[in-house]
Amino acid sequence: MKKNEVERPVNRSLWNRLKNEKLLYLMLLPTLIYFIIFRCWPIINMRLAFFQFKAKGDWPFVGFKYFKMIFSSPGFEQIMKNTLVISFLKYILLFPFFIIFAIILSEIRSNGFRKYVQVVSYLPHFLSWVVIAGIWINALSLEGGLNQVLSIFGMKSIDFMTDKSKIRWILMICEGWRSLGWDSIIFYTTIIAIDQSLYEAARIDGAGKLQIIRYIVLPALITPAVTMFILNLGFFLNAGFDQVFNFSNAAVQSRIDILDTYIYRIGIEGGQYSLATAVSLIKGVVGMLLVLGTHIISKKLTGKGVW
Amino acid sequence: MVMKKRFSISQFIMAIMMIILTLTMIIPIMNIAAKSFSSPESSRSMSGLRIIPKDFDLFNYKIVFSHPILVPAIINSVIITVVGTFINILLTTTAAYVLTRPKLTLKRPLMVFFIIMMLFDPGTVPEYLVVQKIGLMGSKWAVILATAVNVYYLIIMMRYFEAVPQSIVEASVIDGCGNMRSLTSIYLPLAKSGVATITMFYAVVRWNEYFRATIYLTRKSTDSVLQVILRQFVVLGDTVSILGQQALFDYNAIARADYAALKGATIMVAIIPILILYPFVLKFYAKDALAGGIKE
Repeated sequence: MKKNEVERPVNRSLWNRLKNEKLLYLMLLPTLIYFIIFRCWPIINMRLAFFQFKAKGDWPFVGFKYFKMIFSSPGFEQIMKNTLVISFLKYILLFPFFIIFAIILSEIRSNGFRKYVQVVSYLPHFLSWVVIAGIWINALSLEGGLNQVLSIFGMKSIDFMTDKSKIRWILMICEGWRSLGWDSIIFYTTIIAIDQSLYEAARIDGAGKLQIIRYIVLPALITPAVTMFILNLGFFLNAGFDQVFNFSNAAVQSRIDILDTYIYRIGIEGGQYSLATAVSLIKGVVGMLLVLGTHIISKKLTGKGVW
Repeated sequence: MVMKKRFSISQFIMAIMMIILTLTMIIPIMNIAAKSFSSPESSRSMSGLRIIPKDFDLFNYKIVFSHPILVPAIINSVIITVVGTFINILLTTTAAYVLTRPKLTLKRPLMVFFIIMMLFDPGTVPEYLVVQKIGLMGSKWAVILATAVNVYYLIIMMRYFEAVPQSIVEASVIDGCGNMRSLTSIYLPLAKSGVATITMFYAVVRWNEYFRATIYLTRKSTDSVLQVILRQFVVLGDTVSILGQQALFDYNAIARADYAALKGATIMVAIIPILILYPFVLKFYAKDALAGGIKE
């Protein structure tokens, strides 16, 4: 690549090069127009956080009015807390299970059985959250499958979906149910790509199964794990809107109302565009900072980041 | 090498764990399917663990496929999925082609731009205002165009194009092959599995789309898509707007209906296209993981 650039004739200025490539840029134009209209324009619209929305005419500047409103509104603290707790459950507490699942999968000796586990466990990833909510509401209802299993063990029926003390755990377990298979592919492919001679050498040295996992498999998984973890942190203030939106009901709403459901309620349903945009802006900026921050820290500590 | 033991405790425990895990996926889905294919009288008292229909009956599906709101919703979903996926593929493949030209002058700034677009999400309201401004509110085009390119899939497509052997490309350039020809008659055929992969991904996302349809397609109840109606019916439990269309229905059928089974039939209609696409997703994308082969 570098060599080519040196060999290029000097008289080919930037402009000439662009002119020669004009057909290529023409091919890219529709995509660029899409991003400008549906991505850049909304980003410009985010200035609304500092302006009062008016359907017609100019938006008057109001400074930090909406930010002050957000932080002084009585429900906001709870919403923030819900968001952080749900994200903690989904992105941190659940995280080791993806690695455990990948290790178990790689340890299964029967090819047919492993394939069966993979085919079944990847499927939920492709179902919409609406469908998943429908499946879970059915399975967790009073007459549903889970309560029937509980009754075999002589336990009382529980209406899980409206149980305030359980709903956050349900969100976490459901997240695992949906993505355990698919999201652990990255770990699984890393494990099976480990050089077989390493295992052989370890076995000759008398290493047991657990020692092999501890000293060969886990170190190999550090890089994908760090990458996944940092990317997850970028979603920390999202807490998985689609899931919460579809699992919410009046009985449990106070426990799982998160930033994005709040934005939807005040913005789309309530028409308070400026307020909703201000929340989005906080979310977007904090999300970016989290990714950048953890990337830099991780690079310092382990020498590995996302890029 | 030492012969492996045919039976070991650890293999047994792992197998049990995996069987339980997969059953939590199979049974709930099969239970919904079983209820939906049973007669309403039987499905009402059906166990939540039963996976075989009782008194096989297409009663629920007859209601779904003659319903004045569900039928247009299914048609709208199909239109959005087909047209939307076509636009996705058109834009993604041309953009991936341009961005994989090795000597492209603006390659770096363009990639930085696309990655920023991927990482920063402007949020619901700012996009909503754009759709309002360009007059697409209430139109299927709002849903189709708002997700025209996914940067993540664009990068996947670029990986496949980069794997096309340069020698073939160079030979075609000598033969006077232009960019358009090169894309359609060299890159697309050679990166067939890549195109198939992102087609599956886009089609699944399109079919599963509900949020933008919820906020953009609100003019008439017949404007909506299947996922939105499903959400209203199953998640929000709004049976009135679904079964309240009594004038259009046979009264006896409504009285007979088991809501849970009817919900099940609606869920099945949303799942079946995914089940049809699923083997292809596995064939093209997860094949390395499934074969236990080498990564990338």
